[in-house]
Amino acid sequence: MSMDNLKISPALEKYMTKEYRDLVERGPYGKQKKVSEMGTFKEIIEEHPMCAGCAMTLFIRLTMIGLPNPEHTILVGTAGCGRLALSQTSIPFIYGNYGDTNAVASGLKRGLEMRFPEQPKDVVVMAGDGGLADIGFSTVLHSWFRKEKFTTIMLDNEVYGNTGGQESGMTERGAILKMAPKGKKYEKMDMLGLAKTANVPYIVRMTVTNPTRVASVVRKAVLIAREIGPTFIQAYTSCNIEYAIPTPKVIDDAKSLEAERYGFQEFISDEAKAFLESIEPKKAKATKSTED
Amino acid sequence: MYLVAHVDTSICSETACKLCTQFCPETNTILYDNDKKTAFVAVDRCKACEICVSICDTMAKHHAIKMIMITELENPFEMNKAGFNPAKWKELPETVVLEKVAK
Ligand SMILES: Cc1ncc(C[n+]2csc(CCOP(=O)(O)OP(=O)(O)O)c2C)c(N)n1
Ligand code: SF4
Ligand code: SF4
Ligand code: SF4
Repeated sequence: MSMDNLKISPALEKYMTKEYRDLVERGPYGKQKKVSEMGTFKEIIEEHPMCAGCAMTLFIRLTMIGLPNPEHTILVGTAGCGRLALSQTSIPFIYGNYGDTNAVASGLKRGLEMRFPEQPKDVVVMAGDGGLADIGFSTVLHSWFRKEKFTTIMLDNEVYGNTGGQESGMTERGAILKMAPKGKKYEKMDMLGLAKTANVPYIVRMTVTNPTRVASVVRKAVLIAREIGPTFIQAYTSCNIEYAIPTPKVIDDAKSLEAERYGFQEFISDEAKAFLESIEPKKAKATKSTED
Repeated sequence: MYLVAHVDTSICSETACKLCTQFCPETNTILYDNDKKTAFVAVDRCKACEICVSICDTMAKHHAIKMIMITELENPFEMNKAGFNPAKWKELPETVVLEKVAK
């Protein structure tokens, strides 16, 4: 159905940009691509103004590859750096107000279920730590307690990157930032613990060090959200500007943080695991984890 | 003048591990030529972060990518002009690295 929407009407062909034709002919629609195929197919994201070497950019790029059905996906985001790339994707992107992403996504997902009872439509929220843990905190938590069926991805750069370096609830205690010159006084918020308290059936903490794993986790999170309930990915996506990380060292930084305090964690409920096994018998094994 | 990443295709094609392609933050910037078995860069999309250089040097250990002044490249590949169309890329002129241009 949606494939027909993507096709170009022959009468309009000569007016379409080459980027659009490339997408229709050589994009990932209707045939999920693998990370190992990157560089050989037209990707969903076009050029965008995120900073050079930004780990968040890489994470968003990998997320788009993990989406099981980009042609049936709607992204919800808000103010913050991530939307600079998210708004340049060839899938619908809703720019929510800062703070209301998960309320918007709840209504959207319910509406889509009513409108398209036969066709699953995936809703994915992607926003910063400020957007989700601070200003959007209440709508995030309530969407989890209400068991809304969509995926929330926190692009955790541990700072308000887009507005020049204020501390967020997700900043580590003691971190010194431009707008926190004496160092943050409070602990980093335990969003994973809160997700567990809310009985979120699939919760992951990860970084960008393993591209295949990023795509595979996103895929699982989106599939589980279709059938079982809310899913949550908290990803360390460093801000090289506010944390003064030389760009060639961005992946090394992610690796050392992974070893220190941001190790891969994957929590999956029995129900979610059984569901994955029922649709993909071989693949359902949990991604190799360092903890729990 | 500014720097862009440049893949030495003779080194890369020996292994063509595709690691750099998976770690470049920018989309469709390090591309992969299935026939020539090599990675190559769309210079108009490269933001010169050098992540690919460190990936090729330290993770792949192949040392096939160097940062190079854009003016030292003749016929660099540009996505804006070529579009994502591997069948047509074959018709493009070879990219050549010029001798050091006088500063
Ligand atoms: C209601 C509201 N308050 C404040 C802002 C200003 N604002 C824009 S982006 C931003 C910070 C974003 O930080 P975060 O969500 O962590 O994302 P990042 O830029 O770090 O990716 C703020 C405070 C806004 N757009 N709307
Ligand atoms: S300000 Fe930081 S998070 Fe935002 S695009 Fe630049 S490097 Fe990335
Ligand atoms: S990492 Fe180096 S060897 Fe591997 S594909 Fe890239 S340029 Fe070629
Ligand atoms: S320098 Fe950065 S943007 Fe340019 S090709 Fe390498 S990884 Fe990509």
